[in-house]
Amino acid sequence: MMPAFTPEQDGFREEVCKLLCEDAVRAEIAQSRRLPYGEESGLLEVHRRLGKLGWLAINWPERYGGSGATIVEKAILTEEMIRHGVPDNVHSLGIDIVGNAIHLFGTEEQKQRFLPGLARAEITANVLFSEPDVGSDLASLATRAEPDGDHWRLHGRKIYNMKAQHSDFALCAARTSTGPVSFAGITLFLVPLRSMGVLIEPVWNLSEERFDLVTLDGIRVGPEDVLGEVDDGWQVLGKVLPLERTGLDHSAKAERTLAALREHAPPGCEERLVELETRVRAARLLAWRCVANLHEGRPDEVHSATAKWYTSETAKEVAVAAVELLGPRALLDARDPAAIAEGVFDAGFREAPGLTLAQGSSEIMLFFVATSKLGLPS
Amino acid sequence: MTATQITEIAGFFDEELAPIVRRMADRPRAQDADDGDGREVRAMVWEGLVGLDALGAPDTVRLAELLGSVLYQGPLLDTLTARELVPGDVLGQEPVALAVTDEPWRERDGAISARCSFVGFAAEVEHFLVSGGGPGPALVRAGHPSITMRRYEEAGRGEAYEVEFAGTPVAAWAGSATEWPAALAGARVRQAAYLVGLAQAALDHAVEHARTRRQFGQPIGRFQGVAFRLSELSMHIDATRLLVHDPGATAHAAACLAAASDLARTVTTRTMQVNGAAGMRSDNDAQLYYRRAAYESVRLGTPHRLRRESWDGRR
Repeated sequence: MMPAFTPEQDGFREEVCKLLCEDAVRAEIAQSRRLPYGEESGLLEVHRRLGKLGWLAINWPERYGGSGATIVEKAILTEEMIRHGVPDNVHSLGIDIVGNAIHLFGTEEQKQRFLPGLARAEITANVLFSEPDVGSDLASLATRAEPDGDHWRLHGRKIYNMKAQHSDFALCAARTSTGPVSFAGITLFLVPLRSMGVLIEPVWNLSEERFDLVTLDGIRVGPEDVLGEVDDGWQVLGKVLPLERTGLDHSAKAERTLAALREHAPPGCEERLVELETRVRAARLLAWRCVANLHEGRPDEVHSATAKWYTSETAKEVAVAAVELLGPRALLDARDPAAIAEGVFDAGFREAPGLTLAQGSSEIMLFFVATSKLGLPS
Repeated sequence: MTATQITEIAGFFDEELAPIVRRMADRPRAQDADDGDGREVRAMVWEGLVGLDALGAPDTVRLAELLGSVLYQGPLLDTLTARELVPGDVLGQEPVALAVTDEPWRERDGAISARCSFVGFAAEVEHFLVSGGGPGPALVRAGHPSITMRRYEEAGRGEAYEVEFAGTPVAAWAGSATEWPAALAGARVRQAAYLVGLAQAALDHAVEHARTRRQFGQPIGRFQGVAFRLSELSMHIDATRLLVHDPGATAHAAACLAAASDLARTVTTRTMQVNGAAGMRSDNDAQLYYRRAAYESVRLGTPHRLRRESWDGRR
């Protein structure tokens, strides 16, 4: 369900596209995909430009660095950034997850402390949720916050997070108390990462961007760093995570890969392309339905789960289909002289498995729909 | 190949050697990354396989499946195909790479000029068998100054090269142009068997993870959503295995390979899902199966093209 865009929103999309199509911006994006192996981009100049215009977090109030627009304008920006190939993790982590969580649940002091910097792309943030033995079952996390006067010291290891090496601070889930109910006793902390007591190590992986293993070795945090209530982090997570599950990032990625695939697919693949195109169109409609829900102030968790599952599975299917249709050339790295479409297929293929795992795995979405929509016993 | 030979080769890839073989041609992405010990290990494995008479095997399809199951990467499958066209006394026990091209290529005064993409192990074979798009399969000696090559940077991270022959002397014409399709059919069935072996290994990896990884207080394999998917894959592997070992498989070689290609990509993609983020780590074999399946499943033609060829061949 596409919202009826206003002329102003259409105009905003045009303005964003115009900026993202500037030669210097395109060159910076292309360069960011050809960095030496082992290096990856953090905040780019294009982020800073969007930030200065008040567009990066356009739906936040002006006093926090936004423009006071709606979630629809924010979704337009996200969609166009991904369609134009702007590396999105640093943006989605800093603005869409951590920034939004602070915007919704932070104190005024926390909002003043973090949001303007995030919105202007002067600082960035990531999340520290998963642990070596804790993935989908987040309620069983083991990182603990030990009382130290009226402060806490954090001890534990967080893994499979990204961009920690570029981030100024992180939203970290830690256990402040234990009890019979595993999801009770979790607290969310805003943790400075460039500090003694935090060790960040790379974990090399299939994708273009490294994972980080973050060891929290007694870093001290105070009441002013708690997001929401002590022991009540689960409630915050339950409200924040669905907000990022519109699936718009995945549908835009699928669109981008498909556009390149249309250009490079050999003759005779038309039926498969039509099949993929139809799925991608449906994915986009599901994503925008979620945006519309948020815009109208009635988020729908079943719609969110549906969109997350469908869009991420579709983006993965398109990425793998590119290999199926184009052959080995689809696997060429952007740095290879024979690469096609600036290596978009290779990057997509290597990113694809993570799409159906991050932000809530496909299995979690399927379980949620089975129990909450279909009413099957849990 | 006798059952004893298969058993011996399977024994050669024992618990100690198999993990090394799986990564012996996996070159990490890095600026000017060298091959480390990979080339030396590959040479040792080649010697071992030749010593076990892998080049003289009558049932090369079973051999190919075994090679896939240990994710062997090297010139053996290409060499077996070349030996169907070139007498063994010409090749001796030397490795050969297939250099297949869609582009027209030419022969002049006993020398050929051609550009071939995605040639495996070009830097360490003794011969190339150049075929497709030209006058007929031509055997040329590697190392001639007219041959240039460069290694691709690709997701498979293997030994795939672009090779250019610019007036390279032909050592021997390898059969007639009409013999090439039969040799290619054999190569495709072996490639299909290799992919079945690879898919089985990936599934085994996923099953092991599902047995041991605990979430929500139990092994994830106890969740039907995981278990049933793995069962389904196991049954697809079983069916495709019968297809490739069927005596009439070469008559449907292109279609068989397309089926095995789809199977390998599906199984390895789902293996990644079952393994979660851990499967993406460079030190986890799940991502290795995923990357290698992608490359190997399209090396001898995309499924789309293979199915088209299969259909057109019936007319």
